[in-house]
Amino acid sequence: MNLGISAVEFVAQAKDGAISVEEFVAKTLDRIKKVDEKIHAFITVDTQNALDKAKEIDKKIKSKDKVSSCFGMPISIKDNICTAGIKTTCASKMLEDFVAPYDATVTSRLKSEDAIIIGKANLDEFAMGSTTEFSYFGPTRNPWNPEYVPGGSSGGSGASVAALECLASLGSDTGGSVRSPASFCSVVGLKPTYGLISRYGLVSYANSIEQVGPIAKTVEDVAFLLNIVSGYDPHDNTTVHTGQVDYVKDLKSGIQGKKIGIISQMVGDGIDKEVASATNTAISKLQNLGAECIPISLDAVEHSVAAYYTIAAAEASSNLARYDNLRYGFDFNTEGYEFKAFVSKARSNFGPEVTRRMLLGAFVLSAGYYGKYYLKAQKVRTMIKAQLDGAFKKVDYLVSPTMPILPFKIGEKIDDPLKLYLTDINTVTANLSGIPAISVPFSMSSSGLPIGIQLFANSFKEKELLQAAHALQETTHLPEITL
Amino acid sequence: MVERKEIEHLGDLVKVDLREPEKYIKQVEQILNYFDNLDKVEFHSDDTLRTQVTSEGLRDDVHKPYGDSLIEHLKKDQNNFIRAPKMV
Repeated sequence: MNLGISAVEFVAQAKDGAISVEEFVAKTLDRIKKVDEKIHAFITVDTQNALDKAKEIDKKIKSKDKVSSCFGMPISIKDNICTAGIKTTCASKMLEDFVAPYDATVTSRLKSEDAIIIGKANLDEFAMGSTTEFSYFGPTRNPWNPEYVPGGSSGGSGASVAALECLASLGSDTGGSVRSPASFCSVVGLKPTYGLISRYGLVSYANSIEQVGPIAKTVEDVAFLLNIVSGYDPHDNTTVHTGQVDYVKDLKSGIQGKKIGIISQMVGDGIDKEVASATNTAISKLQNLGAECIPISLDAVEHSVAAYYTIAAAEASSNLARYDNLRYGFDFNTEGYEFKAFVSKARSNFGPEVTRRMLLGAFVLSAGYYGKYYLKAQKVRTMIKAQLDGAFKKVDYLVSPTMPILPFKIGEKIDDPLKLYLTDINTVTANLSGIPAISVPFSMSSSGLPIGIQLFANSFKEKELLQAAHALQETTHLPEITL
Repeated sequence: MVERKEIEHLGDLVKVDLREPEKYIKQVEQILNYFDNLDKVEFHSDDTLRTQVTSEGLRDDVHKPYGDSLIEHLKKDQNNFIRAPKMV
């Protein structure tokens, strides 16, 4: 049995009885047992429930009862997305034993389509990080070379799909957290338009910019998942009524006659030579497919990292105020504590990156600095959006490398947070403006590390974005993982 | 320059006992220096992004009782009270 098949292939084979769901899920669990000691993509694996559910689905298939569209597809879910009955830790000591009393909307939609939640994927604590090194439970490692980071913060999601420990995953993307691991692990990752997917049950970090996003082996799988998890949710007033869109239909339409803008600020100085060369090759291939590629300058991008981290830290410091050890947290006696001392003691259990961002957030929002930092960051955000609106009057898509650099070694940048922040330069633009962006695995470096290409489209143009991503994917021939 | 007392004040604002405040001084300073790049931006407008939502777009103002499971998750004593430390 081949665990390397795509999610869509799995569905087709399970549907016609060519494979047993129980056997596939059992083999996936064996695979997790075998490789996860090395990769550490999972915080929790829900072995028994996964097997029970698989048996139940097999029974339904045999007796020709109705089975919903996922047919028992094993999926991992980032551990900041609530799953009733399974721990949701956010990779934090603060929520080490927290079991959500309800399912996130995306979780319940997957379950109602007969997907199997095989486990909860590792992340940077509260999704704050770009490498998954800031997990309380220890880092996830890159399946292509375990000495290297898998990207982040949805590193467990990206690595679990790449290491064939599941068929697909849900991550969350606040500043590139789906696309960075997708690029570093050689899988596909989509950050949808703000408002396309419900955030109900996604543990809040920076509400105005974060979105749940699917990660899978192929663009078609991502489109398949998007069909399930997208759409208006009465529990999340920021979701938008988009009508019924089938993202899988017409996926192979191609990009003949389309216009693609190459973002000058993302392909110039400071990017790795091999990444630059892969990007040029990708652009040539897009041209060969009939697209016209022209340079587009978005000068506000130069300020995007400063604006992004100002806004994200400000929202984080407000959101994380809720961890007061009364509603969540540890059991220690309140006797002998004054309120603030009690709360502060419990909150000293946040990890270093979360603490750093809360401190920064408090600073940029404080009297005297609000205008200097936060307000200017919001204006930069508006500038970025205006420049993108202008760009999308001229082109259908924008293109850039997803990450400006190759995956780097674990520990290499952990003591230099600013260096880590700067690696987000190509991804934060989509979050600040709300537009969708996708990372497509494109090539491997000379040292065998993945390189991803990022495509952007205008808001709610996911259908067209996936068509372009599919066209680009079809030009690639990538190696299979040997882990 | 970010000083120890400023970091401790920020720690106080976000209610965190900073075990090693000095660890954060240099990093926070370095990041804030980078944020200072925002001073170089020439703005042609004072606009910030806003989204309008009409009242029809909001959900109905109907009371929906929460399930017992939410209460079960709270840390409470045997009398079903949530115990908080002294406020004053």
